[in-house]
Amino acid sequence: MSKENKKIIKEATIATTEQITRSYFFKECFSGMGAMALGSMLQGCDWLGNKDSFNNFTNTNPLMARAPHFIGKAKSVIYLHMAGAPSQLELFDFKPDLLKLDGQDCPQSLLEGKKFAFIRGVPKMLGPQAVFKQRGQSGAWISDNLPHLATVADEISFLKAVQTDQFNHGPAQLLMHTGSPRLGRPSIGSWVTYGLGSENSNLPGFVVLTSGGNNPDAGKSVWGNGFLPSVYQGVQCRNEGDPVLFLKDPAGIDRDMRKASIDAINEANQLTYNEFKDPEIVARMAQYEMAFKMQISVPDVMNINDEPAYIHEMYGTQPGKASFANNVLLARKLVEKGVRFVQLFDWGWDSHGTDLSNAVDIGLINKCRSVDKPITALLLDLKQRGLLDETLVVWGGEFGRTPMQENRDGKTLPFKGRDHHTEAFTTWMAGGGIKQGTSFGETDEIGYSAISGKVTAYDMQATILNQLGFDHEKLTYNSQGRPFRLTDVQGRVITEIIA
Amino acid sequence: MRLIKIPMTYWIVVSSIILVTVISSYFVSNKKVDFNAEIKPLLNKKCITCHGGVKRQSGFSLLFRSDALSKNKSGKVAIIPFDAGNSEMIKRLYLKDPEERMPYKHPPLNNEEIALLTKWINQGAEWGDHWAYVPVKETPIPNVKKGLFGILGKPEWIKTNVDAFIYEKLQEENLIPSAIADKSTILRRVSLDLIGMPAPDAIAKKYLTNTNENSFEQLVDALLALPQYGEKWTSMWMDMARYSDSKGFERDEDRNIWRYRDWLIDAFNTDKPYNLFLTEQLAGDLLPNPTDAQYIATAFHRNTLTNDEGGTDNEEFRTAAVMDRVNTTWVSIMGTSFACVQCHSHPYDPFRHDEYYKFLALFNNTRDEDTWAEYPLLKEFHSTDSVKLIALQKWLNKNAPNREKEIIQFIKTGQPAINSLVTDEIKNGALADTKWLQFRNNGSARIKSIDLTGLTQLYYRFISWKSGGQFQIHLDSANGELVKNIPIENSKGSWKIANITIPQTLGRHSFYLTYRNAQLKSPDESGVQFDWFHFTNPFPGKGMPGYEIAFQNFDSLLYSNKITTTPIMLENPSYLHRTTNVFERGNWLVKGKEVVGDVPASLGGLPAGAPRNRLGLAIWLTDKKNPLTSRTIVNKIWEQLFGQGIAETLEDLGTQGIAPTHESLLNYLSYQLMNQHQWSLKKIIKEMVMSATYQQDSKFNEDAVAKDPFNKYYARGPRIRLSSEQIRDQALFVSGLLSARMYGPSVMPYQPEGVWRSPYNGATWNLSKEGNQYRRALYTYLKRSAPYPSMISFDGTSREVCIVRRIRTNTPLQALNLLNDSVYIEAAQHFAQRIKLIVPQNASKQISKGYELAFNKSISPEKQKVFEKLYNNAFAKYSQDSLKIQQITGDKNAGPSGAALVLVATALLNTDEFLTKN
Repeated sequence: MSKENKKIIKEATIATTEQITRSYFFKECFSGMGAMALGSMLQGCDWLGNKDSFNNFTNTNPLMARAPHFIGKAKSVIYLHMAGAPSQLELFDFKPDLLKLDGQDCPQSLLEGKKFAFIRGVPKMLGPQAVFKQRGQSGAWISDNLPHLATVADEISFLKAVQTDQFNHGPAQLLMHTGSPRLGRPSIGSWVTYGLGSENSNLPGFVVLTSGGNNPDAGKSVWGNGFLPSVYQGVQCRNEGDPVLFLKDPAGIDRDMRKASIDAINEANQLTYNEFKDPEIVARMAQYEMAFKMQISVPDVMNINDEPAYIHEMYGTQPGKASFANNVLLARKLVEKGVRFVQLFDWGWDSHGTDLSNAVDIGLINKCRSVDKPITALLLDLKQRGLLDETLVVWGGEFGRTPMQENRDGKTLPFKGRDHHTEAFTTWMAGGGIKQGTSFGETDEIGYSAISGKVTAYDMQATILNQLGFDHEKLTYNSQGRPFRLTDVQGRVITEIIA
Repeated sequence: MRLIKIPMTYWIVVSSIILVTVISSYFVSNKKVDFNAEIKPLLNKKCITCHGGVKRQSGFSLLFRSDALSKNKSGKVAIIPFDAGNSEMIKRLYLKDPEERMPYKHPPLNNEEIALLTKWINQGAEWGDHWAYVPVKETPIPNVKKGLFGILGKPEWIKTNVDAFIYEKLQEENLIPSAIADKSTILRRVSLDLIGMPAPDAIAKKYLTNTNENSFEQLVDALLALPQYGEKWTSMWMDMARYSDSKGFERDEDRNIWRYRDWLIDAFNTDKPYNLFLTEQLAGDLLPNPTDAQYIATAFHRNTLTNDEGGTDNEEFRTAAVMDRVNTTWVSIMGTSFACVQCHSHPYDPFRHDEYYKFLALFNNTRDEDTWAEYPLLKEFHSTDSVKLIALQKWLNKNAPNREKEIIQFIKTGQPAINSLVTDEIKNGALADTKWLQFRNNGSARIKSIDLTGLTQLYYRFISWKSGGQFQIHLDSANGELVKNIPIENSKGSWKIANITIPQTLGRHSFYLTYRNAQLKSPDESGVQFDWFHFTNPFPGKGMPGYEIAFQNFDSLLYSNKITTTPIMLENPSYLHRTTNVFERGNWLVKGKEVVGDVPASLGGLPAGAPRNRLGLAIWLTDKKNPLTSRTIVNKIWEQLFGQGIAETLEDLGTQGIAPTHESLLNYLSYQLMNQHQWSLKKIIKEMVMSATYQQDSKFNEDAVAKDPFNKYYARGPRIRLSSEQIRDQALFVSGLLSARMYGPSVMPYQPEGVWRSPYNGATWNLSKEGNQYRRALYTYLKRSAPYPSMISFDGTSREVCIVRRIRTNTPLQALNLLNDSVYIEAAQHFAQRIKLIVPQNASKQISKGYELAFNKSISPEKQKVFEKLYNNAFAKYSQDSLKIQQITGDKNAGPSGAALVLVATALLNTDEFLTKN
């Protein structure tokens, strides 16, 4: 172990110990009602450097902030998932040669032994449906579909040769977020919350925001806790109704009455505790206190009305409207408050060309318009607040799209579209210790196959965990008789994009 | 090779081994080494990562004795029984060269460990069987006595055999058991455990006033006889069965499978013996003349996911479902994680890679194929139709007995049908949305290689939009011999079943379907879509008396839509038999060698005469020699009552699971279940709750807590937070809202707006009415991609896969749920009204009455004070605000006293005491 690593681990150990000691202090000083929400009993965990997996879980305070394996560059993650899978060929992967082949039959060599979700028989090649330019110092190719993002190209590391083996939305989204195409595994945000706990005891550690009118195809499982304790599941904050389910006091109960009723509940609980001496009772009292605080803190952080006009201008936000832009601004507010993992899903990127809204030209441009400005604003805003260094921003879909035009059921479709494609697509990362203005991986001249710098969902997951300070092979949880980890038996940290 | 170096240092090694062997023999007694207790844990910890079922470095694996004793890649033998000195494994433990010494790149073993391994090899290197893989034997009951040398005789605390096992361990740990809890605490505890909710008033009163010595037993018997018993234990099994009302992936559409849930309730209530309970669920369809109920039982394994997403490969998701059936069977019924054997031999336990696929082969011949409709479905007919069915069966039995079974099966299950999604070589057509064969003009497709010898009748289900269409059947190619030309009517966009007579064909052929329709002008326009094809013989008995009526009955049953359907398991007929191959590294596309159905050799083969299918599997599983089946269910039931299993890892009784705290008790109870109780779950449950162990006071004794914080030795009674189901049911019961209605389609109680947002699915959550919104939790509609929020808040699972152990958590979201969810506000309002009906005036008496209704005991003066303070506080507050009174009580005439009482009721429903089994 290098000296530097030893030092880092020592610091982390101290941080963990302090946490534990502090909590013990609270516990020991526990003096009846309302004394604290933090105070909870816990057991110290031999967590660092322990390769033999064990379940790092104490029911009495499962969300206690914890130090990771080493000091990570990033403290939090904002993951922007474009559900449906945006076309890399209209956004980042410029293929002039594909234009030359536009309208020609796809060569058999690209079809033999391959499976597509909808393409049948011999489809036609489809040239790029966007105008590309090189941007910034780095010269990254970004199409005119994303004019704002083009201005911050030098902040971004592009992964041009991402691959998956799942060509249906649900399984592919699950693979991206849980490391398995089947239902039942914990999501990356759950893993991170399990590993790091929460820095803000008045807010959940893992928040999910959705836009586009639908949940992602894989349902809530993409932010589910799988076999991890349910306390680590993503908490969906909503644009309508209660921002968190059941957050609002019912009509007829004001804050004073709520306080009075929680006091009564906890005084009764204290009496029960005196009788039974069960530490779970103390934990429950703390949870009621915390619930009371969350009723203030969550609406507060979810309210964007008070943001200055220039911020609304920058993000393109309109308070009160359900939109991706609003969610992006919320994401910034949440990480500012110490939320570890903010997951955004925007639905509607499935550019098959079966109707106008999912045409790879018009429909895709409209989707781009709704995300381009807010994503750019997010990077700039985090930067001006000094938060970009410690916030990892990840953008991507669940797979890519074919260089061929979709011919669903062997027919010509009314609009231009592309089918699901597993062999090459683009994602990007920025901030959180990621290199600025770089690109890793290449595809062939028509964007069909990855030819170098191939990475998988597992590699992206390993990299995200690495930036947070985790060795992805050591962040494990025992279930069904064996230690599980997010990256299963795979994953390589993509060191090429790490600053 | 590293081994070449060895001879140079050979003499040093050998001599030091001899030396150490000699020395260690002085230190280690001559007692026989216990493989399970001493060797296996050491191997698992130090060796198995590189020399197990996954990695077999240098060709050496310690998983099976036969492997460990055979030659490695180097040509050497690692373990030579009775000869540690020449065993390569021991030599390698001593070396100094880090490249040579084992464990490679890890700290060396200490001398005691090496001596132990040496001794074990010298004693013959016998492999012991892990406790859970040894058949259950009769276990002697410990003869525990108290006092020095037991002079004080059997402790009075002991009530049953269970207690003797518990007491023995308590003595070893120097712990003293607790006294029996007070009557009202026990009443609440056993009611919540046995029926999942508080006892009905009559039963509660009877017990509390009953001074009879047997009052507790009478209470237990009364509870076990209630229909709510079946509901409570069905809730448990629904997790094991991953029961859900939706299909799972993406649009996550509705699934009609509630008849299976109702089957479970009846099975528990009639105390169906557990061996039969399992047999019917795994292989009900393979029993002779299965009843509808036995078919419905097989829906157990139709709770797998169906993927309706467009563009999915149906065979991929059929395969995924079959693998899930294998994994669920192991985890839920045999407490063993088998899923890792998909990709490689089990890393720790004695299961080989190909054994997974042999086991899978037992499941791989069912008719389900990831179809949208989830075929095969059992159709249950109602009213006049069910009369017709009986008449038809009777008539067939008399007039065409050789066709009876086949025709009744077709009517009831629509099988065997060939789903159109298995057709291939599709031209001018497609599998629409990858679900149904659809043709354009001049379309063609193939049904691959089937034998229709003698079958002259074709039934097919189709939908069409155009007149003038015809479809043809050809032999062996699209231009092959024309078997039949069939005009297709325009069904105007609705599904229809049609039938036609076709000429006889002989032997095995591929059948090509072609379609022509001159009215289709555009080459992209499609004219017809097929769902399935069923080849059979004409309806029999023409000319026999009653033929006309019988045929009419047949016909009207076939088309009847007054049916309840349930997805079931049905075995493939021989001409649709699937072969099973090993999937290399678990990848279903990379097929290895072909295998036939079997069970793992290490757990004993299939019993003689057992068929190689699901029925054979069930026979093996419920054989008393199967070591896992009884232990797993006993452990699970114990967990339901005590909050943790005797072996904590319910899902893994293997060598990596947490060892049982009371192994002999687990064995004793398992033996009791199978023999004394003849697989009766009610009896085994009764045996557990009749123990003093179960009835103990649950207060934490300081000394005991220090020694045993997690109550693994049971020096106190279980104090466990209630499950999500118990929390809902109890609140509804106490408030008087709970509907006693049983069975039927799942219901939708209050749920906030916007929880359901599945793509391509317009389904909405429609609040149930007429009391259905107040049904027990097990009837709540469960949509996998968006499960009922309070179910999940309180650690329920979304039932995507089988999760046999819920991990209890304690979160602020739970507090918010109970404080603010309309379900609980409404419960509090009704609770307050119920109190008021009994005690119209006097806040103080109302509060004590409320507590009594919730707990069946009197409130302590201190708690009374707490709630009175809240009441007074609220009364003062609401006196100034009539709008708020109406909002919180839902009644504008309730007055401040009514509002204050609702506040007290809410608080009572939120206390830890109420949420916990005390």
